[in-house]
Amino acid sequence: MAALDELDEIDPGTTARTDPKITVKGLERHFETPDGLLQALGPMDLEVRDGEFLCIVGPSGCGKSTFLRIAAGLLDPTGGEMAVNRQGTGPLSAMVFQDYSIFPWKTVEQNVRFGLEVGAGAPADAEERVGYWLDRLGLAAFRRSYPSELSGGMRQRVSIARALVVEPEILLMDEPFAALDAQLRMLMQDELLALWQEHRRTVVFITHNLDEAVLLGDRVIVMSKRPGHIVGEFEVPFTRPRTADLRGSGEFAALEQEIWANLRSEAYGAADAVTPAAPTVPTRRGLFRRAR
Amino acid sequence: MTTTNDRPLAPPAPAGSRIVFAPKVSLADRYRRNARGRRIDNALRFGVPIGLLVIWQLAAMLDLFDRRFFPSPGDVVESLGTAIGTGVLQEAALVSTYRLVVGFVVGALVGLLMGFVLGRVRRLNVALDPIISALYTVPKLAMLPILLLIFGLSDLPILILIAASVFFIVVISTTAAVTAVQKNYLEPAQCFGATGLQTLRHVVLPASLPSVFVSLRLAAGNAVLVLIGIEFVQGGAGMGYLIWNSWQLFDVGRMYVGVVLVAVFGVLFQTLITGLGRLATPWTRRGGSASSH
Repeated sequence: MAALDELDEIDPGTTARTDPKITVKGLERHFETPDGLLQALGPMDLEVRDGEFLCIVGPSGCGKSTFLRIAAGLLDPTGGEMAVNRQGTGPLSAMVFQDYSIFPWKTVEQNVRFGLEVGAGAPADAEERVGYWLDRLGLAAFRRSYPSELSGGMRQRVSIARALVVEPEILLMDEPFAALDAQLRMLMQDELLALWQEHRRTVVFITHNLDEAVLLGDRVIVMSKRPGHIVGEFEVPFTRPRTADLRGSGEFAALEQEIWANLRSEAYGAADAVTPAAPTVPTRRGLFRRAR
Repeated sequence: MTTTNDRPLAPPAPAGSRIVFAPKVSLADRYRRNARGRRIDNALRFGVPIGLLVIWQLAAMLDLFDRRFFPSPGDVVESLGTAIGTGVLQEAALVSTYRLVVGFVVGALVGLLMGFVLGRVRRLNVALDPIISALYTVPKLAMLPILLLIFGLSDLPILILIAASVFFIVVISTTAAVTAVQKNYLEPAQCFGATGLQTLRHVVLPASLPSVFVSLRLAAGNAVLVLIGIEFVQGGAGMGYLIWNSWQLFDVGRMYVGVVLVAVFGVLFQTLITGLGRLATPWTRRGGSASSH
């Protein structure tokens, strides 16, 4: 966790609460590919306020997940920097993954306890916390079940409980509901909304779904296609606590429409669609090499 | 095996006709048919081997083939009785079991340990992989004379060879299983700040256990092969020696006793390991819940 340790040392918790929680300056990430260095992200500049629910939308492969992985300390940036203001002494961040990534060999309860068992060691109130989050997410009856016996929605609840039980300063969510069906997805959004309004913390939430972004977020960031940088920023004006009824309102639809217009022109380059570019001839250099 | 439609498709109906999809069999009949299907499966599973034995016995009694070379099942059972009566069989089985268990346990433990290390330390794997591949290809039996030269005529060369045959299978599959642990299981561990050992215990070990047990089972079968091969040529005791010695004495019945018992032995050994594997990986059992604790 070298990256996290470096982040810790930037500011030992002396800053005022009005400072941004996360400051991103010229952040870049490149990947090595068979065709050379590929820039996946950046340069990206962003400030995330303390306690803010920030949603990031953008086309596939725009580097959203890369950004989140940098924030989680799973990837080092290749340029620029990301600084996080540390307030507590607990875990800095926890992540909810798109494909759940809960362990099939652990029961629901063991999965939720995982984050407390590793790292700094189990806190004294570990059992209480596990019990609380199992209850809070409606998992108590399944505590001894294996993930293979659960539905997709239940698995994602386990993943959320696993992240929240460590009480991270920042919660990172990478398209957490993408694998769920449309109805279940709405139910989970409602649940997350209620949950967050009860336990406020800084959240960076990545999604493809504009409806989801507007319902949950305080602010929605639109990213361009690769290399991803910010092309739009929308404050979501609806007051908290919000409820799922918001979906039906005209303002909600209008904001969603506005974000979509921005995303379509800036990120998907709608202008290009009118005059399609000349088809590129794929260059194959190896037997199994993907043509790009 | 149930197919989606158990009847051949009807010829295309003429235009304008009404095509009806309705049950062809009543639910009760369907249930009865499935139950009957399961009974047939079980009858085949046990009936065919028993039937073959009966045919063999009848053919022998009718003198359809030379009973000197192909004794009847009855003759084999008789030889079994004699072999047990004289105590030859128990002694051979005991010696072979000891060699197999000691060799297998040592080889498996070293193989597992090294497999996990090689799987986690990429550079070490890069360095040692060619050597392991090269040694794996050497037939273990070919090493016997060299080991006999070094260690003399004791049990040690036999144990070393069995352990080596187990080791290579286990180390190669364990390394592969560990390197194949999916990123989406390793990332949460890294994310929650797990140390190397914690990652091993909570993620890498359980994730690779199912394939590790498959390799242990393969290694168990292979260890029996190697053991019998060694005992043919060296050892002066054990099941392999019993078979070879029976051939030399032209005791055909005892030869068959030896072969059958080795087969039974191999099956039992593999079943034991499969059973241990099922105990160790409760989450792979269908609908299996964790026992309350």
